Amino acid sequence: MIPAIAVIFAVIIFPWVFTVWMSLNDWRIGMSSEFIGLGNFQMLATNNRFLSTIPRTLYFTFLSVLLPVVLGVFAAEVFHQKFPLRGLLRGIYIAPMMATPVAIALVFTMMFHPQIGVLNYLLSLVGIPKQLWVYSADTVIPTLAFVEVWQWTPLVMLIVLGGLASLPTEPYESAVIDGASQWDMFRYITFPLILPFLMIAVILRTIDALKSFDIIYVISQGGPGTASETINLYLYLQAFSFFQIGHASAVVIVFFVLILALAMILLVARERLRWNR
Amino acid sequence: MESVAQVSQFDLNYRLKKLLGRIGLFFAVFVVVSPAIFVFLWMLSLSLKNEIDNIAYPPVFIPSPPTFDNYFKIFRESNYVLYAYNSVIVSGAATLIALVVGVPAGYGIAKGKAQGLGMLIMIARITPGLSYLIPLFTLFRFLGISGSLLAVTISHLVLTIPMVVWVMISFFEDMHPELEEAALTDGCNVWQAFYRVAMPIARPGIAVAAILAFIQSWNNFLFGVVLAGRETRTLPIAVFNAMTFEQLSWGPVAAAALVVTLPSLLLTIFVQRDIVTGLAAGGVKG
Amino acid sequence: MSDKITRRDFLKSSVLAGAGLASASLLNACAPTPEPTKAPAPAAQPTAPAVVKTTGDKFDWKRFKGEKIEALLIKNTQGDIMAQNIKEFEELTGITVGVDQPAEQQQRQKLAVEFQSGQTSFDVVYYSFHVQKRLFGKNKWVTDIRDYLKDPTMTAPEFDWDDFSAAGKAWATEPDGRIDALPNKIDYGVLYCNKDLFAAKGVALPKTFDDVVSAAQKLHDPSKNVYGFVGRGLKNANAYLWCLMVLGWNIDLIDDKLNLNTTTPEAIESAKFYQNLQKNFAPPGVAGFNWNESQSAFALGQVAMWWDGVGFAAPLEDAKSSKVVGKVAYVVAPAGPKGNWAGMTGDGLGISSFSKKKGPAWYFAMWAASKSILAKSFAAGSGAQARNSVYTNPDALKNLTVPKEWVDTVVASGKIGRAALPIVVPVTEFRDIFGVALTNMIGGADPASELKKATDEFKPILEKSEKA
Repeated sequence: MIPAIAVIFAVIIFPWVFTVWMSLNDWRIGMSSEFIGLGNFQMLATNNRFLSTIPRTLYFTFLSVLLPVVLGVFAAEVFHQKFPLRGLLRGIYIAPMMATPVAIALVFTMMFHPQIGVLNYLLSLVGIPKQLWVYSADTVIPTLAFVEVWQWTPLVMLIVLGGLASLPTEPYESAVIDGASQWDMFRYITFPLILPFLMIAVILRTIDALKSFDIIYVISQGGPGTASETINLYLYLQAFSFFQIGHASAVVIVFFVLILALAMILLVARERLRWNR
Repeated sequence: MESVAQVSQFDLNYRLKKLLGRIGLFFAVFVVVSPAIFVFLWMLSLSLKNEIDNIAYPPVFIPSPPTFDNYFKIFRESNYVLYAYNSVIVSGAATLIALVVGVPAGYGIAKGKAQGLGMLIMIARITPGLSYLIPLFTLFRFLGISGSLLAVTISHLVLTIPMVVWVMISFFEDMHPELEEAALTDGCNVWQAFYRVAMPIARPGIAVAAILAFIQSWNNFLFGVVLAGRETRTLPIAVFNAMTFEQLSWGPVAAAALVVTLPSLLLTIFVQRDIVTGLAAGGVKG
Repeated sequence: MSDKITRRDFLKSSVLAGAGLASASLLNACAPTPEPTKAPAPAAQPTAPAVVKTTGDKFDWKRFKGEKIEALLIKNTQGDIMAQNIKEFEELTGITVGVDQPAEQQQRQKLAVEFQSGQTSFDVVYYSFHVQKRLFGKNKWVTDIRDYLKDPTMTAPEFDWDDFSAAGKAWATEPDGRIDALPNKIDYGVLYCNKDLFAAKGVALPKTFDDVVSAAQKLHDPSKNVYGFVGRGLKNANAYLWCLMVLGWNIDLIDDKLNLNTTTPEAIESAKFYQNLQKNFAPPGVAGFNWNESQSAFALGQVAMWWDGVGFAAPLEDAKSSKVVGKVAYVVAPAGPKGNWAGMTGDGLGISSFSKKKGPAWYFAMWAASKSILAKSFAAGSGAQARNSVYTNPDALKNLTVPKEWVDTVVASGKIGRAALPIVVPVTEFRDIFGVALTNMIGGADPASELKKATDEFKPILEKSEKA
């Protein structure tokens, strides 16, 4: 028990204490640190570059949560059926969420290549003009979200599949007798029953999409310009490119509060759903 | 006689409907699985072609003839065997420690015995990974273990412990309390009830937690960049070393990417059944 | 050793005079001072301390036999050559070396974090003067090597400090005269031109900035998938290209008194020049291009001109990765309206101040900057080297993997070399903040107001960083 507590202290509590202390200091690597109280936070509140990362992060998160939920429910319905090779195909389907993000991001980088990327070629086969993907400020966030969706839809699928497996069969039997269509059955029976599972998926996805880093860092480095600079990318820039540790620690705290707030809202919504059932 | 005809007519309709349903299902399966298959096949294709085919437009899909040069190149230039060894040690140890700490913690939290701990785990789960780097680096310096495998392993606990606890909580919450109550009335204390009753039932959950934690640790790239030394790097960092400054060669990068991610892919395909049944058995509950 | 060259060869060789340093700081690169054509006398340079000639009978390569050191290099050709030849060093000295070559970005993070913590896992480190010189110099994170250079028992007789180019020495020298590193590689901005595309339209290779614009106009033909120009547009990377262009207006963006000249008419003109080329004549998506996307566009034969560092010849001349083999003209930086300079970056090897094995680390640095190793890097097309002798080294010239024309361009660039990026602590912020402004310009924003915005943002950061 003692080592367990020591471990938890070392990897969870200590970093937090350290970060909070650093956020009250002005410290750049290679210079002496100076206590400035809430100065870092005041700076953040008026820093346009930082402020602009917040809506950007939310936009990316929104896409990276909504699309996996829609596609994940569809995929779960598919894998809920029986068909040959189901196990193997299911394994392949969930492979993206288990693949190493850095490796995946590098492959997507090549696929998005403006001159010789394979994706533009595939589009040209069906008559769609070349896209700029991550090379244009307008399309970079949806493109990165597309990679995120590719990678994380399987997680939603798994959670929903677990939900489908636990469904009772009676309502469906009576619905068939009443002559209900497939869509009606989904709408009035399946969806309300898997909603709690979906909420879990939404909470998990929201937390992780907000924190998404590897993919954005490897594929676009926050560019073009600052078009894909999410809070996490800004944090990285401050900490590991500019070495402004104090400033970066303040970003961590603001970022954390934001994630916590969103997670809380979703948790409250989930409780509400429970009561209404 | 006519009744027979009617029956066969009905039968035909039914069969046709069933056939259409099957075709629709196969099409749906194809649509759902193809993005994953395409990306992995493209990765494989890039890694087996020479550079001139890799930068050809329209793209060359089938390597002809396939060449393993890219693989030879990266294995020659980089110590992948060592990195793979490090990855196994780090991910294995980080997963084991997380199970030892996380399973009881998950139980305690689920049974309402450790609310403070639950909060902590929740906090760890939502803290951005980046923010651990500098404090942990400082701590390891202070302890004199910086750059060691131990240090890298400890840093990975940040990922694995919350993962294990997260999965286990829902498992234990889902368990029928009657079982433990029976154990408790037999004179066991809470922890004995845990070891004798709860643990064996939660075995599938523990398997899922272990798999997910292991893969998460295996894939982590960020921590090793700053915390690992030359001899203690893990595989994801080695991918970056397939890129040189003067020249971007896609073949070696794709080969390195595939080498790094292959273990987690194979593991996934082998244990997908456990993951699915584990999660379905109450891994994640609404 | 076949790379022994005579004094006469040396003088006959095109002498590289780099950034002549009128003041002791590289911030202010003025007219180049050609090296004296008499015996090279470093004493004439205020920044290069006189070095005692050694007789060599007291120097012993085996002095640190049995020691083990760690060398932190970068994953680039220069580092590859050192790593490939490390056995030679180990046999020569009996010192064991652990060589590490992370990717550049990761290596820089590791460096900063380790130096800050007052303990380094490496003894000798390969770093970039144009990014880290001021930061390392200010904090004295790397060891002053003057004592070694003066000490005949520590410097090999064949080492020949005078062989290093003035530019290399200047990069390695701090304002107070300390020498922080052994210069290793120098890089100049050059213009890569596609000869076929130029010939097809009968356009002459550009000599001035105006030529570049008119050539881009004439050769730009998106309908045929041909673009007039390409260069780095990605935030941070693009600041390097802009800095190369700024030199054509003969100003330093940050002068030696730390005044920001980033809103001057010259700076605005150069930004307009950058904007015009990148917005009107570059492939779509250039705002997200780093050197690698630029390189592949050029290597695919889709671009008439690409402006970047000189080190990309090897992949362009490699039939395995390029469709323009033998079709590349290497053009020395064209003349701007007010000056003609080849923007310069540089790397060197420094010895960690926290190392407990400075002696053997110095031996490694000396070997890694030796005539033979740099000649090998040069032959591999790694870019311009810090030693003059490589350009006349018969072995290197024989094994050259790139055309002879490229060598001439490097040598000519050396005569008009000048520091490309400002030498300040927050170089990365400078590149980042002005990089965002440049990306916005590619998108059509007004250069003057973007520069003003960026300057206002960068000024306090600069002032804070230079406070002692």
